[in-house]
Amino acid sequence: MSKINISIADFILMKLIMLGILVFCVNNLFAAEGGPCKDYGDCDKFKYSLNDMESLQRGASTFLNYCYGCHSLQYSRWGRVAKDLQIPEDIFFENLVFDKSIKPGDLMTGSMPKEESAKWFGVAPPDLTLVSRVRGDDWIYSYLRTYYEDASKQYGVNNLVYPGTAMPNVLMALQGNQKLVCKEVPMLAKNGGEKRDDFGNTITKEKCGILEVEESSGELSKDEFDKLIYDLTNFLVYVGEPAKAERERIGWYVIFYFLIFTALSSLLYREYQKDYH
Amino acid sequence: MSEVIGKMFGWFNSRLPIVNTFERHLSKHPVPSKVNFWYLFGALASVVLIIQIVSGIWLIMPYSNTEEEAFSSIEYIMRDVDYGWVVRYMHTTGASMFFAVVYLHMFRGLLYGSYQKPKELVWIFGCAIYLAMMAEGFLGYVLPYGQMSYWGAQVIISLFGAIPYIGESLELWVRGDYYISGITVSRFFALHVVALPLVLIALVFLHLVALHEVGAGNPEGVDIEEFLDDDGVPLDSVPFFPYKVLNALVGIGVFMTVFAIIMFFFPEGGGYFIEMANFEEANPLVTPEHIAPVWYYSPYYAMLRAVPDKLGGLIVMGSAVAILFVVPWLDKSKAASIRYKGTYSKLAITLFAISFLTLGYLGTVGVTEVRKTMSVICTFIYFSFFLLMPIYTKYEKTKEVPKRL
Repeated sequence: MSKINISIADFILMKLIMLGILVFCVNNLFAAEGGPCKDYGDCDKFKYSLNDMESLQRGASTFLNYCYGCHSLQYSRWGRVAKDLQIPEDIFFENLVFDKSIKPGDLMTGSMPKEESAKWFGVAPPDLTLVSRVRGDDWIYSYLRTYYEDASKQYGVNNLVYPGTAMPNVLMALQGNQKLVCKEVPMLAKNGGEKRDDFGNTITKEKCGILEVEESSGELSKDEFDKLIYDLTNFLVYVGEPAKAERERIGWYVIFYFLIFTALSSLLYREYQKDYH
Repeated sequence: MSEVIGKMFGWFNSRLPIVNTFERHLSKHPVPSKVNFWYLFGALASVVLIIQIVSGIWLIMPYSNTEEEAFSSIEYIMRDVDYGWVVRYMHTTGASMFFAVVYLHMFRGLLYGSYQKPKELVWIFGCAIYLAMMAEGFLGYVLPYGQMSYWGAQVIISLFGAIPYIGESLELWVRGDYYISGITVSRFFALHVVALPLVLIALVFLHLVALHEVGAGNPEGVDIEEFLDDDGVPLDSVPFFPYKVLNALVGIGVFMTVFAIIMFFFPEGGGYFIEMANFEEANPLVTPEHIAPVWYYSPYYAMLRAVPDKLGGLIVMGSAVAILFVVPWLDKSKAASIRYKGTYSKLAITLFAISFLTLGYLGTVGVTEVRKTMSVICTFIYFSFFLLMPIYTKYEKTKEVPKRL
């Protein structure tokens, strides 16, 4: 019977070849997936800061003033939000809760009847308690900033992240009228710098689909508006999981405990190992 | 005082084999003196089993198994129950870690031939545990009644429909309704919290009793029972307590650190441990864009999709698990451990591991032509590993296995 002997070098070579094939395949496999932010391309990155109480308070205020009219937070309770956001209950109920019959233990079930609203908008505005967990914070942060003027739509606006969205741009008064425009943008050379002609002038090409707000059509500047959306998204991240900040705080202690546990048990194990080695 | 306690203990011990059992299965149980980290996953699996049972019991208390309240009761646990989020994340992280640990434990078995004579039954009970776990995990995933619970269950239960003749009635019988509904949720709840845990615990008990009868293996594949001291204790063994216990304790420490990192900082595991779509309540009218199982089923899901025919896919998927049960009779090698097996075995297990991981990835993403071809190739490799095992293990040159550890 013939037996093939393969040396270790051959074996390693074979493994390397297989690894090569694997890397090739994996690269091809990953390539096909489209981004979650649709026409906008990659979503803008969002980094939450759940310990920034002022940001969360501003976010809550924006939500209750602009969003809560249509969108409920049905798993969240009024009193819990006030407590977690360190807003004294009397101030909270005085300024942010518009229905005076509401008690702190009540769920934030919204102020619009679901069946009626489905008639008004085509679809009932969804509950947003868990939107940050279903869509992700990057998505919300991008979505709320990518509305643009589109006369063909019911409310005169469309959205790059959510094309054909049923929601009007509620924050337009603050943001201003955002449009998709074409612009001359500098062409980039291979080294990453701008391409220039022989006279040192920048070579440009026309690029379309750029978002631009009509000048002084909104109450807020671009930076101010981005900050408003940041705070709002931050608040939605909090509402999605109210225990998140505490979870991450406690987590360090638990990990620290288990590291000590591991260190001590391995010292003890080593001591006992001496018995038979 | 101590005399009284001693007497009482004596009274019990003469009626119940306390000391004997304790010494035989715990304190004096001989285990191989030289093993590596691969031999920790069994102990870790039992740790996770305990975590799952304890956290599960606490989750049952506030959970509601009705169509109307299942989803909101989970949010109630996450928000209103004191430290409910800790218990819930413990359970969700535990589910993923259970599979991670068990997959590594099984791979250890394949690497070091832990199924070879006389350990066939240990292996078979282990496979049965894996099968029960898959059912348990599936049932549990339906309970939060999110979109992926609903549509995942829809896909899996509809598989029964592919069985000829009895398929449709079987499907209806499992669901208890014409579509997934509160009836399905409440029966899955009963199965998840009572029936399958009982089966699992019984199987784990049998797995351990059988293991203690034949003795644990080692990475060298040496039979330690051949060289005994005057008391009949293997020379290459150490007592379970304190040596193995302390060894396991270090492993548990490392494992729990990883567990805590996931649980407190990445409980969704990037959408692989808790899928994002499952934060949306089940809606029979809206199909999610992309239905994917949790990561631990994804290799089989990829196999299912690799076969164009539904019944064929079901058969392939079922065989992929069923074939594990007969591995003890497929391996004809004289050596147990991969260290002493030949090149073909080494090549085969490497290809097998790569194809299983690739299938795992493919099962979580959408289908394209390239991916489908890849799934077919990997499914082919998966089965070849087992089906060709009698040939390549028989006709390859093995190294001589040492006598002692």
